[in-house]
Amino acid sequence: MSGERQDPATSHPVDGRGPDWSYGRRGYALARSVRQLASRPIASATTLLALGVVLALPALLWFSVGSLDALTTRTLDGESLTAYLAPDVTDLDGAELADTLAERPDVTLARYISRDEALAAFREGSDVGDALDVLGENPLPGAIVVHPAADARDDASVGRLARALDEDRAVERVQVDLQWVRRLQAALSLARRAGTLLAALLVMTALLVMTNTIRLELARRRPELDVARLLGADTAFVYRPTVYTAALLGALGGLVACALALVALALLRGPSGELAALYGSAFRLAWPAPADLGVVVAASTLLGLVGAALSLYGSSRQNVPSGA
Amino acid sequence: MIAFDHVGLAYPRGRPALDDVSFTLREGSFTFLTGHSGAGKSSLLRLVALLERPTSGALRVGGVDYATLRPRREAILRRRMGLVFQDNRLLDDRSVFDNVALPLVIGRFSLADIRTRVGAALARVGLDGHAADYPTTLSGGERQRVGIARAIVARPRLLLADEPTGNLDPGISADILELFLQFNASGVTVLFATHDTGLLEAFDFPRLTLAAGRLAASGASGESTAAPTSRRRRGDPG
Repeated sequence: MSGERQDPATSHPVDGRGPDWSYGRRGYALARSVRQLASRPIASATTLLALGVVLALPALLWFSVGSLDALTTRTLDGESLTAYLAPDVTDLDGAELADTLAERPDVTLARYISRDEALAAFREGSDVGDALDVLGENPLPGAIVVHPAADARDDASVGRLARALDEDRAVERVQVDLQWVRRLQAALSLARRAGTLLAALLVMTALLVMTNTIRLELARRRPELDVARLLGADTAFVYRPTVYTAALLGALGGLVACALALVALALLRGPSGELAALYGSAFRLAWPAPADLGVVVAASTLLGLVGAALSLYGSSRQNVPSGA
Repeated sequence: MIAFDHVGLAYPRGRPALDDVSFTLREGSFTFLTGHSGAGKSSLLRLVALLERPTSGALRVGGVDYATLRPRREAILRRRMGLVFQDNRLLDDRSVFDNVALPLVIGRFSLADIRTRVGAALARVGLDGHAADYPTTLSGGERQRVGIARAIVARPRLLLADEPTGNLDPGISADILELFLQFNASGVTVLFATHDTGLLEAFDFPRLTLAAGRLAASGASGESTAAPTSRRRRGDPG
């Protein structure tokens, strides 16, 4: 095509030919689908935006799932059971008991906190520490903080460990600090389930949008499809441009969804980090890896292809060209 | 080339479009298909073009029995025919070049072949220099010529024309018919549907006349035996 005269008004070659690649069967299909999208820029942009908005939430959930998993794991790593000792247990007895507990296979760490340490910590962390002076003597008991082993953090194992601690004569009361983590895990699990359900509904919505768009596309292209059939085109030739259009819409819709999800992630990272900090966590929503973006675009493209298949299944069964 | 043997075509809940039609067209013949609107001309052409299947009788085209034709071969067979329509069926969103090139793209011709053949086809219909135009900028006669160029660009052995002069002035109609005669002269079988009495009176060629779906008149023994270009415009020498 190089060296050919161009019509300055239309930028088309004066011999009316398109690019060389557009005269193969697949090149023709690609050229038609690109031209279909470009010929109606507002309609195409609206469709892409609709797809992007609908797929943005599922994409955001996909990007966040890794961070949320890390949140629960990290929290469990740092949490523990606390065994409060009887007032008559001496520091030596308490430290010895902590050493004994540390040797259990279901415990990674057991640390004794003396009554004096507890008091100092209370004074430091509380606004009412001075009020303890009124009591005259230290009212806080000694305690042993027990961290369960990684493979003993399920409910049954933690329960067994708590009972074992409770049965020791020196222990007055056991507090399972993991409980709030489990509540958090349950809440996150519920949120994840609800999010997955919502994402599934949104994906179905995207599929309907895609199917409807392809149906309209087929209706618009009906004259061209009829002519192609009359000229001897087989089914693959007739419908390939529509399949390419669906794939293009899907891929571009996926890119728009990624962009919107990244914007949302950027807006949520700050506040979620601040909230986590209030609970003493270093949790932050992580940016997605390039592979995660690829997964969203690939899934969206697949969605477009499924939409095309659904639209074409009905169309190919009923279309007989008129004419002649 | 075309053999109808007691062919019928009936649609559900309607009167038969064709009823007991029998005739044979020799390869290289030129035949008018005539009859009033609704007589069955388009239905007959649709049968030949594989857009419909007979509901009775037997139909053979180019030695192929349509009754035993596998669906996958329909498209291939249709590529070997040239179809010209009254409304020319051009695609207005692409250039004349691309309209004419479409059958070649469908037929997997090389780019070099496409360039050569489209140029030759446009030259044959007198439209060289219009390749970059869009159909909407052309006159009715020019549009029909583009339609004809598209029909002959793959060099088919059979040309089917459904009222190709129906929307044209008489002078332009005669020019269009002359084009078909030129193709016929090179050995192409032409079945030309028309109810244009002016053309029928001006050109003396075998006719198949349909009335209410039945063959009302035809060449001798129901057979069109015209040899290519053997008879031309009435009054022409020879």
